Amino acid sequence: MREEVQFFVSRSLQGIVVIWGIITAVFMFRFISPTNPARLIAPDDASEELVRAIEIDLGLNDPILIQYVSYLTGVVQGDLGFSYSTNTPVRGRIIQVLPATLELAFAALIFAVIVSIPLGIISATHRGTKIDSVANLTSLGGVSTPNFWLAIMLVLLISVQLGLLPTSGRPIGLGEGIRMLIFQANIGGLTTWLSHMILPTIALGTYFMALLFRLTRNGVLEELGKEYVLAARGKGLPNPLIMYRYVLRNSLTPVVTVTGLQLGGLIGGSVVVEAVFAWPGIGRLFITSLNLSDWPMMQGVLIIVGVGYVVTNIFVDYINSSLNPQVELA
Amino acid sequence: MISKRTRTAVLKELHSNKLATVGTALILCMLFVGMFAPVLAPHDPTQQDNSQTHQPPAFMGGETETTRLVDGEMQTVTEDNSGSLTHPLGTDTNGRDVLSRAIYGARTSLLVALTAMMASLILGTSVGMTAGYFGGKTDTILMRFVDVVLAFPALLITLAMIGVIGPLTFFIPDPFVTSGLITDRPTHMVFPVTITAAIAAVIWVWIARVARSEAIRVKNEEYVTAARTMGRSNFGIIRKHVLPNSITPILVLATIQVASIIIIESSLSFLGFAGTNLSWGYDIAQGRDYLGTSWWLSTIPGLFIVIAVVGINLFGDLLRDALDPGIDRGEV
Repeated sequence: MREEVQFFVSRSLQGIVVIWGIITAVFMFRFISPTNPARLIAPDDASEELVRAIEIDLGLNDPILIQYVSYLTGVVQGDLGFSYSTNTPVRGRIIQVLPATLELAFAALIFAVIVSIPLGIISATHRGTKIDSVANLTSLGGVSTPNFWLAIMLVLLISVQLGLLPTSGRPIGLGEGIRMLIFQANIGGLTTWLSHMILPTIALGTYFMALLFRLTRNGVLEELGKEYVLAARGKGLPNPLIMYRYVLRNSLTPVVTVTGLQLGGLIGGSVVVEAVFAWPGIGRLFITSLNLSDWPMMQGVLIIVGVGYVVTNIFVDYINSSLNPQVELA
Repeated sequence: MISKRTRTAVLKELHSNKLATVGTALILCMLFVGMFAPVLAPHDPTQQDNSQTHQPPAFMGGETETTRLVDGEMQTVTEDNSGSLTHPLGTDTNGRDVLSRAIYGARTSLLVALTAMMASLILGTSVGMTAGYFGGKTDTILMRFVDVVLAFPALLITLAMIGVIGPLTFFIPDPFVTSGLITDRPTHMVFPVTITAAIAAVIWVWIARVARSEAIRVKNEEYVTAARTMGRSNFGIIRKHVLPNSITPILVLATIQVASIIIIESSLSFLGFAGTNLSWGYDIAQGRDYLGTSWWLSTIPGLFIVIAVVGINLFGDLLRDALDPGIDRGEV
């Protein structure tokens, strides 16, 4: 217990340093970027005086250090500023679109884990057979296919040619679907949700699935060759027990690490996948803001994603050490 | 810089592994296609022809029935719209040749990927070597900086860098056209400076991490201590001893990263930040609007990406198996 408290305290301190770095980097991005926010906010035919007045109002003429301190204190208090294009609070907008992206990222994560780990085990235990070669080729294809192209191909095949699933959009969220089921006994909401989720999930999760498959297969292969497996076999332990009790436990460490770390990668990947499926998430928000040079919004998204990564990272290390006592909490 | 032992190991792996041979062949093909794009492309990739729009690839398509206004009456007419060998992979909405565009797309991808890889290699190796060799405060500061970059998904931070740098492109005269060897082809190659710089600015951290751990491994070897005792400068030791002994895993990672760079580049051009319209990602984005009628527009450039990336991944696996540097790859 004491060890754990120590772990969380020291890692949180390190994490805070990185988060401070993230906020500073994000502040510098806005500062260096060639756009003048005052011109963006002012109407096209605005006079020079109006632009000057907006600059003063935004504090753009203050020394950089003062701008930095006021931005930093704002962010620490949970104030991410106001959008240049809509003049509404950035935080509210991000909270509004975050569920769509998180739903998609978690769905992709679950899809990848459910498919890849069993497939990796089967492939490793049937090494050199047809199943193994097919699985290996599929995973090579998976890591080599850009997710946006895969998304378009899925739409082309399943939505356009076969007409099985909707092409894009997210008419209903998971929470809303569940509410409909409970309060109106109507499963329609959930099925609509599911039908819109399937293609984006596969498009986003495939790369990750292929990656996890490789890790699982290699991990299991390596463990199977070790002497304790031979000893366990010699003792007459049944194969499934050896597999689940010993081999998997020992080979899952890299899988857990990558799963945790890739949550950030999934959110990065969702930027493009969201663009294909017109998915109203954080990625689309980011692209729209980039096209409008809406820096406060972009800064907000970057901070939320970066902080999310740092926090996930700490928990991943913790889970790893509890799965595998050889990994020390440090 | 590449030792004989390394060369033998790679050649041996190449002989014993068929997939690796395929990968190497694919990479050589891509380099060839990219370099000699003006010679290989059957048409000018930017040449528009309104009488030849939406032609399917050769041996595909056929007679289709459409309803249109003929002499003031709606009539069902049969139109012959089958592919021809003039445009082996069909044409797009503006009648441009899909194959030629894909060939020129390879060139853009290569230009971005190789430049970004070189830049990231130089920056990453310098920072990583410095951090690993000197250790202490230098190491802590540099590596915290790396941690900050790593905290963002690569694509998101690349997009942010595009916002920071602003759109920049650079025109390079095409040697085949300026020398008069080839006519009717674009006279300049467009080099998308912004996305190259943005990608390099992000991807170097992976190189830095590997370079750092290699430098830490090497710096306590006896020959380094010996060199220090002989009074060699720190810079001299890094250049003469540490770098040559840690270069293999760094180069392997850099090779694998080319695959990631190609995917990031195509994603950025798909999203419309390419700075050039001769790019695989751009063509895929353009073809999206015609999925129902002209499937080949988005499909073909994507296949080119997959083939290129498969080639690099296979080649990377070959290097890794042959040299076994035990590194993890930089992910998108």
